Amino acid sequence: MMLRLFLSLVLAVSFFGSFSAKAETELWGDFSGVTLRVKLIGGGQYEGLYNEVIPWWEENTGGKIEIVTQKNHFELDKEIKKDIASGNLDFCVASNHTSFASQYGNIYTDLNNIMPASVLADYTPLILEHSTVDGRLVQMPRHSDVSNLYYQKSLYEDADNKANFKAKYGYDLTPPETWDQVKDQAIFFSNPPDFYGTQYVGKEEAIAGRFYELVIANGGALFDEDYRPIFNSPAGVEALQWFIDLYNAKAVPDGVLNYLWDDTGLGFASGTIAMNLDWAGWAGFFNDPENSKVAGDIGLVRAPMGSGGLRTGWSGSHSFSMTESCPDKEAAASFLWALTSNKAQMIEARGGLSPTRPAIWDAIIAEKKAEGDEFMLMVFETFKMSLAEDAFTPPLIPEWIEFTNALYPELQAAILGDKSPEDALATASKKATEIMEDAGYF
Amino acid sequence: MRKFLNGPWVLLMPTLIILTCVVLLPLLLSLWTSFTPFKLTKPDTLYRFVGFRNYERLIGDLDFWIAFGRTVLFLAIALNLELVFGLGIALLINKITYGQRTLRTLMMFPMMFSPILVGFQWKYIFNDNIGLMNNFLREFGVIQPIPWLVDGILANVSIMAAEIWSSTSVFAILLLAGLLGIPKDPIEAAKVDGCNSWQVFKNITLPFLMPFVFIAMTIRSLDVARAYDIVQMMTGGGPAKRTELLWTLISRTGYVDAKMGMANAMSYISIFLSIAFTFFFFYKLVEARQRLSYE
Repeated sequence: MMLRLFLSLVLAVSFFGSFSAKAETELWGDFSGVTLRVKLIGGGQYEGLYNEVIPWWEENTGGKIEIVTQKNHFELDKEIKKDIASGNLDFCVASNHTSFASQYGNIYTDLNNIMPASVLADYTPLILEHSTVDGRLVQMPRHSDVSNLYYQKSLYEDADNKANFKAKYGYDLTPPETWDQVKDQAIFFSNPPDFYGTQYVGKEEAIAGRFYELVIANGGALFDEDYRPIFNSPAGVEALQWFIDLYNAKAVPDGVLNYLWDDTGLGFASGTIAMNLDWAGWAGFFNDPENSKVAGDIGLVRAPMGSGGLRTGWSGSHSFSMTESCPDKEAAASFLWALTSNKAQMIEARGGLSPTRPAIWDAIIAEKKAEGDEFMLMVFETFKMSLAEDAFTPPLIPEWIEFTNALYPELQAAILGDKSPEDALATASKKATEIMEDAGYF
Repeated sequence: MRKFLNGPWVLLMPTLIILTCVVLLPLLLSLWTSFTPFKLTKPDTLYRFVGFRNYERLIGDLDFWIAFGRTVLFLAIALNLELVFGLGIALLINKITYGQRTLRTLMMFPMMFSPILVGFQWKYIFNDNIGLMNNFLREFGVIQPIPWLVDGILANVSIMAAEIWSSTSVFAILLLAGLLGIPKDPIEAAKVDGCNSWQVFKNITLPFLMPFVFIAMTIRSLDVARAYDIVQMMTGGGPAKRTELLWTLISRTGYVDAKMGMANAMSYISIFLSIAFTFFFFYKLVEARQRLSYE
């Protein structure tokens, strides 16, 4: 097959305006007559990229993109599992995530063999490492997630709040540095049902992930080196007790155990929540007066520390993968590059998402400085530091989602008072042991 | 051979072939997978026979049996309430002489919504923070928000309300069809003999309606025993499994955990529930018809 792929080094000035970024390796080619079938994650925050990048790629290569599926990631995950079972992998590119990737076996190509090293050099090495499963680079990272703590600034500037808090807790009211301080302050600010100190995502992988990062921050771990569960530990009980204490104190809404990401984001924007641990993608929304009652009154600090002296930093990256069965791997490689290129990442960074290319971090920070946008500058600087110093992935094993499904009902049972934290974690630990045994870890 | 080709089998063959392909083969395949550790993400596991291991695990799985019991209870309460409301609506519409067709059409509106949309609507209605129900109650002095979708009893009641709202019209339509088919003579004769409205309803109308009741019960019992969409949208079976029904559990096991072998074993056990209800309602249907013909 004639090699149609070519590389070029260009200065990425055309789409960054005045910014002069480091040279980017581009991956164009002539793909006239090629149609790539793709399955993509859908939703408001994700689709803007496709509207810009797909026409751009089609115009520059002559190829065509056929979007077969566009749905939320959990539905897409189910669809791809069904595709694997039926052997019907008739698409070339699909959205993926570092937390999901290890489930899919070998259906995705090892991009180490396809992407030129000069292209891979444009991405943050640690994120590429997290995108690797069993030594195979199965995804090109799109943007990264980590959470930091948003808060309503005016609450911390109020003189009465300062005096009353100091009198009650014995230390100054400042944005929290530890999760114990978050608890104190959340209880202090709460005035249910009109106002709550904080909130948390309360079900499925979401609460399991939040529990996981708190266990780590408390100095514990979910598994030992052989993947035997060890979260039924003092660090685990302490982490679970944090959720329970907030729930019992009514410092979080009663319905929090049914909340997922949209609920917490919209809740903070509604102005009824004092502090909210959330990802960078919400920043623009929170500070937009059209959507948010807290616009102009938002502070942001790095995620607080647990009792082990570590900050929480559950992290992962949205990504794109190429199937092993793809008949046009060169075209697919070019499209993967385009979807994660400087241009693509700059589009998403302007919406608040965290890029996976160091050059884009520099570019977006420079752009916000030039615009004098102090809020977004604070957001990007905070998240850049957090991703560099605090971020850690969940165990990158195929059983992660199944494990979280065994864990989260037990966490909920303890929060609702149906079980003690020790009983709940003992039951979850037993189920996790069964999952790991079945998977052949021990 | 010629006798076979000229016989009724030839006429039945297309039906038998279609039923075999569409019903029997998928059933046999899913039955086979229930004896394997089949994972969607590991297609090779489809060929590893593990005997009754999945079933043995389920027998000792308390979560599964609690979901099974909750499904039976949910089914019994929802069906009976739908019957009562459906019968009431059918009787009221049957009394109307003007605008009956319009009302019959309006009554069918809830059935036209997809169950997923119904789930979203009712999730919003019962949201503890911004939901219509709590805001409505607040107008009457209930300041503390009621955690409709968190409390064990209230969450099940909320889901049942959505299910009943969505499907009571099935009962109403079938029972209205029954009411329209009842001959007028026995009712008029009973009134001439001095029976009051309750006696007419109890001794004439209801026996005539019973076959329709059991047909509606059979159809709805199969529907409710497979309840998934509304529950998934409103609570996902949680929190802490408080609203877990068989199909939320089976769906999560099969499609999220990808353990399709185990999910199919759960499905085969749950099929007995549907068979039991169907058998019971058909038995009652035959009994009601026989009673009608005797009378």
